[in-house]
Amino acid sequence: MLMCVLFTNTAGNILLERFQGVQAEERLHWRSFLVKLGTDNLSGAHNEELFVASHKSVYVVYTAIGDISVFVVGKDEYDELALAEVLYAITSCVKDICQKAPTERAFLDKYGRVCLCLDEIVFEGTLEHTDKDRIRRLARLKPIAD
Amino acid sequence: MASQDGSTTLMDLISSDPASVPGNASSLPVLGKGAPEPPKASRKPGALQSVSAVAAESLSPARLLSPVKTSIVPIAKKKKPVSYSQLARSLHELAAAADQKSSSTQLVHQIFPKLAVYNSVDPSLAPSLLMLHQQSEDRQVLRYVYYYLARILSDSGGQGVAPGGGISTPNWDALADLNASGGVTRADVVPRVIEQLSKEAANADVEVHAKRVAALKALTYAPTSNDEVLNRLYEIVFGILEKVSDAGKVKRKKGMFGRQTIDKESAVRSNLQYAALSTLRRLPLDPGNPAFLHRAVQGIACADPVGVRHALAIVSELATREPYAVAMAVDKIALSGGTLQEVLQLHDVLARVYLARLCFILSRARVLDERPDIRSQYQTILYQLLLDPSERVCFEAIMCILGKFDSNERLEERAGGWVMLTTAILKFPDAPAPVSNSSQQAKDGAGVPSKAAKERPASRPRRPQALFKLVMRRLESAFRSPIRPVLHAAARVVQEMGKSRAAAYSLRGYAVDEDSHPDTLVDNASSDLANSELEQTDAEVPRNKVAPLSSASGGKESIHSMLSSLKEAVRTTVACECVYVRGAAIKALIWMQSPHESFDELKAIIAGELSDPSWPASLLNEILLTLHARFKATPDMAVILLELATLFATKVPGKIDSDVLQLLWKTCLLGCGPSGKHTALEAVTVVLDLPPPQPASMSTYHSNKRVMAADPKSALALQKLVQAAVWFLGENANYAASEYAWESVTPPGTALMMLDVDKMVAAASSRNPTLAGALTRLQRCAFGGSWEVRVVAAQALITIAIRSGEPYRMQVYEFLQALAQGASRHSSLEMATNGEDQGASGTGLSSILSPMIRLLDDVYKAQDELIRDMRNHDNKKQEWSDDELRKLYETHERLLDLVSLFCYVPRAKYLPLGPTSSTLINIYRNRHRIDASSGFNDPAVATGISDLLNSQLQYPPPMIEKDEPLVAGLSDGLWTGSTPAVDMVNEFLVGAGTDAPDVEEENALPRTSISYDDMWAKQLLEASENEDVELQSSGSSSPESVASYSTTTSSHFGGLGYPSLFGGSSTTNYSPWEKQLSSQPTGRVSNISMDLSSDQPPDYMGASRMGAQRQSDTFMGHSDSFDNLPDDMMGRVDDDYQPQETPQFGKALYDFTAGGDEELNLTAGEELEIEYEVDGWFHVRKRKPGRDGKISGLVPVLYVTS
Repeated sequence: MLMCVLFTNTAGNILLERFQGVQAEERLHWRSFLVKLGTDNLSGAHNEELFVASHKSVYVVYTAIGDISVFVVGKDEYDELALAEVLYAITSCVKDICQKAPTERAFLDKYGRVCLCLDEIVFEGTLEHTDKDRIRRLARLKPIAD
Repeated sequence: MASQDGSTTLMDLISSDPASVPGNASSLPVLGKGAPEPPKASRKPGALQSVSAVAAESLSPARLLSPVKTSIVPIAKKKKPVSYSQLARSLHELAAAADQKSSSTQLVHQIFPKLAVYNSVDPSLAPSLLMLHQQSEDRQVLRYVYYYLARILSDSGGQGVAPGGGISTPNWDALADLNASGGVTRADVVPRVIEQLSKEAANADVEVHAKRVAALKALTYAPTSNDEVLNRLYEIVFGILEKVSDAGKVKRKKGMFGRQTIDKESAVRSNLQYAALSTLRRLPLDPGNPAFLHRAVQGIACADPVGVRHALAIVSELATREPYAVAMAVDKIALSGGTLQEVLQLHDVLARVYLARLCFILSRARVLDERPDIRSQYQTILYQLLLDPSERVCFEAIMCILGKFDSNERLEERAGGWVMLTTAILKFPDAPAPVSNSSQQAKDGAGVPSKAAKERPASRPRRPQALFKLVMRRLESAFRSPIRPVLHAAARVVQEMGKSRAAAYSLRGYAVDEDSHPDTLVDNASSDLANSELEQTDAEVPRNKVAPLSSASGGKESIHSMLSSLKEAVRTTVACECVYVRGAAIKALIWMQSPHESFDELKAIIAGELSDPSWPASLLNEILLTLHARFKATPDMAVILLELATLFATKVPGKIDSDVLQLLWKTCLLGCGPSGKHTALEAVTVVLDLPPPQPASMSTYHSNKRVMAADPKSALALQKLVQAAVWFLGENANYAASEYAWESVTPPGTALMMLDVDKMVAAASSRNPTLAGALTRLQRCAFGGSWEVRVVAAQALITIAIRSGEPYRMQVYEFLQALAQGASRHSSLEMATNGEDQGASGTGLSSILSPMIRLLDDVYKAQDELIRDMRNHDNKKQEWSDDELRKLYETHERLLDLVSLFCYVPRAKYLPLGPTSSTLINIYRNRHRIDASSGFNDPAVATGISDLLNSQLQYPPPMIEKDEPLVAGLSDGLWTGSTPAVDMVNEFLVGAGTDAPDVEEENALPRTSISYDDMWAKQLLEASENEDVELQSSGSSSPESVASYSTTTSSHFGGLGYPSLFGGSSTTNYSPWEKQLSSQPTGRVSNISMDLSSDQPPDYMGASRMGAQRQSDTFMGHSDSFDNLPDDMMGRVDDDYQPQETPQFGKALYDFTAGGDEELNLTAGEELEIEYEVDGWFHVRKRKPGRDGKISGLVPVLYVTS
C-alpha cells in the first residue's frame, strides 16, 4: 500500500499531498514527521539523491528535486526499493512537466498537470504507470499505445 | 518566502482571478458571500497550508510543520484569492458557455488546476462536469473531467477520509445556493455519474477507446460496496477481457513503450486489456469463480506490462486461497507456453515481484505434493529471479526463499527457508534462460527502474549455481551501493536471513552445517554438465570478485566464511550517515549474531552508535524490540542480549521506553532458564547502579557509565527507568532466586539460630546470592534514590520480605526498621546516598514504611505466640481446643489478608505463621470444612494481581508472554506461533518454577543452618523441662530477637558504607531506642555482639536467645538501653519471662465506621483492649467480634478513651 505522496517546498510547506488509507489524525503525524525529515536531511542534498527512513514496517523514501521535496510512504510490497521506483516515476514526470529541476513557481504553474500525472502514477494506493511517455499520453487522454 | 522573491506560489495559483480571462470577465462576479476562504486564506500567502486556515484538518498540521511561518504575514497580495465558490460558479458558467474553445482554455488553465488544490469536489459541480463530459471535445478538459468525476465518486462524504490531500473544501451547504438546481447531494449525482461513465466504458467504438479507458478508471473509484455498481463493473471488465482473448493472442511488444511496433488493432486490444485488468485488480477477489481466475491468468500474457503486473497480482493473491486451481490454470495457460519465463524479462519491476510471490506460493503449496514437476518449475523461476537486475525483485525472491512472505509465516517455514537457501541449487531450464546484463544492473541500483532488459542471443547451457553463493554475492554488492534505499533493503534482507537461520537453529531437523561448501553440491549436481563451457561464468552477478565455481576446489568458500564476509559488509554499512540505514544494519547484526560467537564487536558498535544524539527514540526502541525478538528466537542468548539492553539503559535512558525494557527483562527472566536467572536479574540491577543524573555526579561517578541525562527530560526518564527496574526487581527477585516462603525448607525460626552476625549474613548470601544481591541493591535504592525511587524500593523490599523465607525477611525487617528511623542517623548515610542530600527529614518514607513494619511485626508476633502456644500444649500434652484453633486460624487469615494488601501470595500455600502452623490450620480447616482456596476472593485476586500467577499457584505465571505482550503491538511473528522458545519458557514455567537454585545444594552453609536447627531443637527439648528457659526460647522467631546480631547486616553492607543503619530494630514505639541509639557509636554495638559470639562460642546461642527475648520484650512495649545490652541480656537470662505488656483498656467514645480492611467498626461505649498505638491510631481488640466478624483493627485515637 502506497500510503502517502507529499510534495513540499524547501521551507517545509506542503504543496501537494495524496493519502491513501491514512486516517485524518494520523495524517497530522505523518505530515510533521515527513517535513521534519526533510528539513533535517534535505538541505544541501543533491538533486534526486534518495533518502530513506522507516517506522516499524512503514518505509519512507524521499528526495529533493529543484525547490521541491517529494516524499513517498509505503508498506507491504511498497518497501524502500519499490518506493524508490515510485519516486523515480514521480520525479521524472515532474521534471518532464516543469523542464529540468523545478522551481516552486514552475511547479505551481503546472500544478494541474502535476496532479493529473500523479493520478496516473498513483492509483488508489498502488503504483500504476512508471513510464514517462505513457504518463504523458494518458494525462492528455491519448491512448497508451496506438 | 516565495511571494517575496517574485515567484508564483500556491496562493497565486488560487488567487489569480479567472475573471481576468478575456471573454468571461462579466461572468465571474465576486462572491464573497458564502465563501469562507478569502479573508482567512489571504493571511499567509505562499503555500498550501496558508490557505488552509479554514480547514480544521489542514490548519494544525500547517502550524505544526512550519512553526516559523505561523506569524501572520501582512497581506502582500494585490489580488484577492479566488474562493472555492468562485471557482465553482466559474465552472458552471464555463460549462454552459457557447464558446467552447475559449471556455476550454480557461477551464484548463484557470479553473481546473485551482480546483485541484482542494481535497474534495462537492457534488454540486457534477452536473457541470457531466455536461462538459458530454459536450466538450477538448481532451485536456475531458481528462480533468474524468479526474474530478473520479474524485466525486471516491469521496466518502461525511467520513472525512478523503483520498486526496490538500485544502479542505468548504462546507457544501454553504454552496448550496450557488446551485441553479438547488441543493445537490452526492446521492443525487453519483448514480448519474456512474450511469454516464459506465455507458462510455461499455462503448466498443475503437476511436474513442482512450476515453473508454479513462471512464473505466474513473468508474473504478465508485464505492464497490454497492452491488449494482460492482455488477456493472464486472460486466464491463469481463466483456472487454472476453473480446480481447477471443481475438487471439496479441503480438507481444518487447521492451519499449510508446513505440508503435504493433498494429493498431492489437494496440487497442492491449490498451483495453490493461484497463480491464487494472480495474479487475481493484475489484473484490472472487475465489472459486473459474471465469475470474481464467481471465486473470490470461492477463499474464497481456501485451501491456502494467496489465501483466495486475494479472500477476490478482493471480498471486488468488493462489494463497486456492493454490491448486491457480497452479493448474497457470500451468495450462502461462507456464507451458513460456509466458511466465517471458515475464522474467518484462520491463516492470512490480510484475516480477508478483511473479516471485506467485512462484513462491505455488512451489510451497502442499496441495501440489502430487505434482513435483509443476512445483519444481515454479521453484526454478523463483530461483531465476535471484538473478534479476532489480534489487527489488532479487530481494523479494530471497525473502520468499527464506520463508518471509507475510507476517503469518511459521517457524518451520522460516527454518525450511534457511535450509533451502543454503542447500538449493539453481539449474537453468532448457528454455532460453533469463539473462540480465551485469553492467546494467550495476548502473541501475535499486532505486532506478531497470532499463529494458537487453536480449541476448540464445544462451548456451549454463552451469548450475549454488543459491547461497548467488545471494551472498548479490547482498555484498548491494552493501557496496551508494544508494540508501538499497543499503536499507539489503540490511533488512540480512535481518530476515538471520531470523530464518535462528529458526533453523531452534528447530530440530533443520540443522545446516555451516562449514560445508555450497560448491560441492553444485559440483555434484553439475557433473552431467561437465562439458559445458567453463568460460560461461556467472556474468549476471555484478562485481563478481569470487573465482568462478569451476575453479579449483581450494577457492571454495564455506557457508560460514561467506556469512562472515557478509557480516563484515553489514558492519561497514554502520558507517552510513543515514541513521535509519544504520538502524537496519544493527538489527541485521543482532539477528546474524550467533550465540557462540564473541559479541564484543557488536557491543562496541552499539555503544558507539548510542553516543550519537541523532538517533530518534522510536528507532532505538525498535532495536530494543529486535533484541527482544532475538531472545525469543534464541533463549540461549539472554545474557548477551541483556548486556546489550543494558547499554541502552545506561547510554540513552532518556530515549528508551521503560515498558520496552521491562518487557525485555521479563522475557529474559522467564525464558533464560534457572541458570540464567541470576544474570537476568543482574542486568536489571545494573540500571540501579546508574549514577543519579546530576552533572556533578556524572563527572565523579562511574566515568565509564556516563549517563546522557544532563537535561531534565533525560533525568526524568532515567528516574522512571530506575523506578521500573526497582519495581521489577521487587516483583521478580523471588522468582529469579527461586526463594519462596511457602517453599522454603527452612523453618522461620532457623535463622535465629544463626546468631553469629557474620554467619547469618554469609548464610543468607551464600544460600541464595541472587536474592541477597537483589536485597542489597534495593536497600541501596531505598536510601539513595530519589523520593519516588525510594518509595518503590520500600515496596519492593516488603514484597521480597513477604515472599521470602528467613533470613531474608528478617533482613528486610531490620532494614525497614532502620529506614524508618533514618532521620536520626542520616549523617552516617553519606556514603550510601550516592551523594544525594537526604534532607533533614531523613528518608521521608515513614508513612510508607509504618504499615509494612506493622505487618512484619504482626507476623513475627503471631509466630512467637504460636510457638509459645505449641510449646505449652506439648508440655502439658494437651490437645488444641477448637477455640484455640479458631483463634489461630483467624490470626492466619487476618495476616493473609494483610499480606495480600502488599503483594500477591498464593493463599492456599502461604503460611504467615510459619510452616509449623500448617498442621494446626489444616486440622481446623478439615474440622470446619473450610476450603483453602476460599481466600481467592481477596483483593489481590480480585484486582488481577494474581493473574501474574497461574491457577496452580506456581510461581511465576505461565504463558503470560505468549498471548498478551505487555506492550501493545510488540508481538512479532516469531512469538505468535508455537515456537520452541515459547515452549521452552512454558515448559520451564510449568516444571522448573519450583526448582531450588543449584547453589543451594552445593553450598555447605544451608547444612550449617540445619545443624543450628538441630541445636535449636535440642535446646527446645531441654528447655521444655524448665519453664523459664522455655519461655525465653519461645520468642525466638520474633524479629527483635536478632537484636544482638543486628549489626550483622551492617557488617555485611559495610562495603557499601552505611554500617550503622542496621544498628538496631524496634517496634513502632521507637523513641527510647532512638535516643539511646543515636548517642551510641554503632561500632560498639557490633563489637559487643561480635564479642559475644566469638568470646563465648558455647554460649552464643543462649546469649542470642536472650537478645531475642529482649527484643521481643521491646516489641511488647519495653524498651531497653542499648548501653546495658550485655548486662541486660545476661541479667535477664534468669529473669522470669514477661509474656505481654500490661494490657491497656479503653472505651469507644463514638461510633466509628471502618474505612478499610485494617480498620475496625466501633460502637460508642464498646470496651476495647488497646494493643498499641501508631500514627494517631490505636490497634484495638474487642472482647467479642463485631457484626462484621472482625475482632481487632485500627481505630482513631480520639475515638477511644484510654
